[in-house]
Amino acid sequence: MARIELTDIQKHFGAFQVLKNVNLTIEDGEFVVMLGQSGCGKTTTLRAIAGLETVSSGTIRIDGREVQDLKAADRDIAFVFQSFSLYPHMTVYENIAFPLRAVGMNQSEREAAVREVARVLGIERLLNRKPSALSGGDMQRVAIGRALVRRPKALLMDEPIGALDAKLREQMRAEIKRLHIARASTSVYVTHDQIEAMSLADRIVVMHGGLLQQVGTPEEVYNRPANLFVAQFVGSPVMNVADVGVENGGLSFGAGAGVAMPAGLIAHLPKNAVKLGIRPEAVRLSHEPGEGMVETETTNLEPLGSHEIVDVRLGGATLRARAEPGFVRGQGQRLWVGLDAERAHFFDGETGMALRRTA
Amino acid sequence: MADVMTRLEPNSRAAARGLSDLSIRNLFIIPTITFLIVFNVFPLIYSLYTGFTDYRASTTAPANWVGLANFRELLSDPFIWRNFTITAKYVVISVTGQVIVGFGLAMLLNRPMALKGLITTLLMLPMMLSPAVVGLFWKLLYDPSFGIINYFLGLGKFEWLADPQMALWAVAMVDIWMWSPFVMLLSLAGLSAVPKHLYEAAEIDRAGPFYTFFRITLPLVAPILMIAIIFRTMEAFKTFDHAYILSSQPTTELIAIRLYKMAFLEWQTGLSSAFAYIVLIVVVAITNIYVKYLNKAKAR
Repeated sequence: MARIELTDIQKHFGAFQVLKNVNLTIEDGEFVVMLGQSGCGKTTTLRAIAGLETVSSGTIRIDGREVQDLKAADRDIAFVFQSFSLYPHMTVYENIAFPLRAVGMNQSEREAAVREVARVLGIERLLNRKPSALSGGDMQRVAIGRALVRRPKALLMDEPIGALDAKLREQMRAEIKRLHIARASTSVYVTHDQIEAMSLADRIVVMHGGLLQQVGTPEEVYNRPANLFVAQFVGSPVMNVADVGVENGGLSFGAGAGVAMPAGLIAHLPKNAVKLGIRPEAVRLSHEPGEGMVETETTNLEPLGSHEIVDVRLGGATLRARAEPGFVRGQGQRLWVGLDAERAHFFDGETGMALRRTA
Repeated sequence: MADVMTRLEPNSRAAARGLSDLSIRNLFIIPTITFLIVFNVFPLIYSLYTGFTDYRASTTAPANWVGLANFRELLSDPFIWRNFTITAKYVVISVTGQVIVGFGLAMLLNRPMALKGLITTLLMLPMMLSPAVVGLFWKLLYDPSFGIINYFLGLGKFEWLADPQMALWAVAMVDIWMWSPFVMLLSLAGLSAVPKHLYEAAEIDRAGPFYTFFRITLPLVAPILMIAIIFRTMEAFKTFDHAYILSSQPTTELIAIRLYKMAFLEWQTGLSSAFAYIVLIVVVAITNIYVKYLNKAKAR
């Protein structure tokens, strides 16, 4: 297993800069998920670690050895592609055995290694089939098997379950997690799906515009977003963001609406150009008036089975709240709304950076 | 509503197409079928008949039915067998050369490079020329006195086309020059269809260039390469023009040349018809073997 260090990585495609000063250390045995929108540079970073993409400047170290100028074959890493990239003319057995044959491993050792990996992945019955006769999930299991069979220093995965249907994705997610725990391999996983990121990662790296926005555990990224982008990218439904004025004892939402806040939580904030971020589960709804609650009415209702998303007006802002099924009858219903002050986030209205209290 | 749609649909379809099925049949299909019957099917059947007669197109004497005598005579003639042997050797040299050169060129061109389109077009020029013209100017290139080939190779006055050992190689070389671009073109199509991510996967799997070529590239291009080989084998069996122009050596007398002499110099029309059918059967048999391999390659 290996420790991967990226230092000052820059990458240009012509005049376009894809990676801007990427600095990241992935510890031995860690599962890191790179999360971001299409075109944010996450796949380019992964391919640069693998050696499938050169970097314009900066250093990449695997176990302390500089590898940025080495070919992919000399880096001893494995890569799982989104498109599976199975060799279509070979059987599953031949596909998994390919990396071992390529380095001249003898047949008996090869066979033992392939059968061991096939057993772990539960694909022994498929060994004589061609990839064209496999389901999407089985193809990805074979692709993972081919990656794991030679026990690489690190396992890199580029949206490996992105092409599967929702149910299979959930199943494969659990399998990938199980494999990682069993093998403790250093893994770097790229996805645009924040649920995958939250459920798999030891640490999440959120990327946007070629820059690392935040690196942290799933809890840190979810509960203490470094900036507005992270706050709105992670979490479903997305975090509510509203322009607020900071006044004595609370926040004003315009149009005369305001919510009381403990002074200790807002004392550090400037008076203007502040954005409030609050997750739907931190927006409290009640049929009865209560302390710190404001009367309002619902503007929309999305029933999702396990819970409902309720939209309410608060001054000039619309907030989305998470409620129990059946809590609200429909739109236009009068109720009271309040905010969980401890779970409120504040961001600089201009830079988007989190405004945190100094301890 | 459904009735209205049923009644309107045929008219609106015809209007959209511009031509009715009947017009298409009369304008295109009937003339084509007539042409094929007159110029292909009828001669094919008629020559099969003449193959069983002693017919000579140079005389007015009626054709007499001789049964299998023509076929017996041909198959027991050692000179005919020699023609077949020469042709087989020629086909092997020519097609092998074309596959090596054509596939090699395709490998070189299958990468991003400046002026790729222009280079590809220039490389395809030989196959656009008339075989007779190619034969004539290669005769000049091979000329022992002023030919540029001897000049560059420093071979003095070496007689390429008169040397019994070298003449067939020299003729095959011209075929390789002319038709390698065809193999190149098909190979290029095959190579560019191999997904780039498979090469990336092979690189990650630590496969070297030779291992990648033999285990990934070649098996995936094999079906289209086999199609090129089928076409070139059939064509090489029929080689006549440039071979006839280049050399009159007995060692370069391919079956097409022998057939031409038999039919139009010796006027043995019945015998040459039987000969043509034997050649046809051989070519069909060889093609069938290739098609079997093609299907196997496709199944892989």
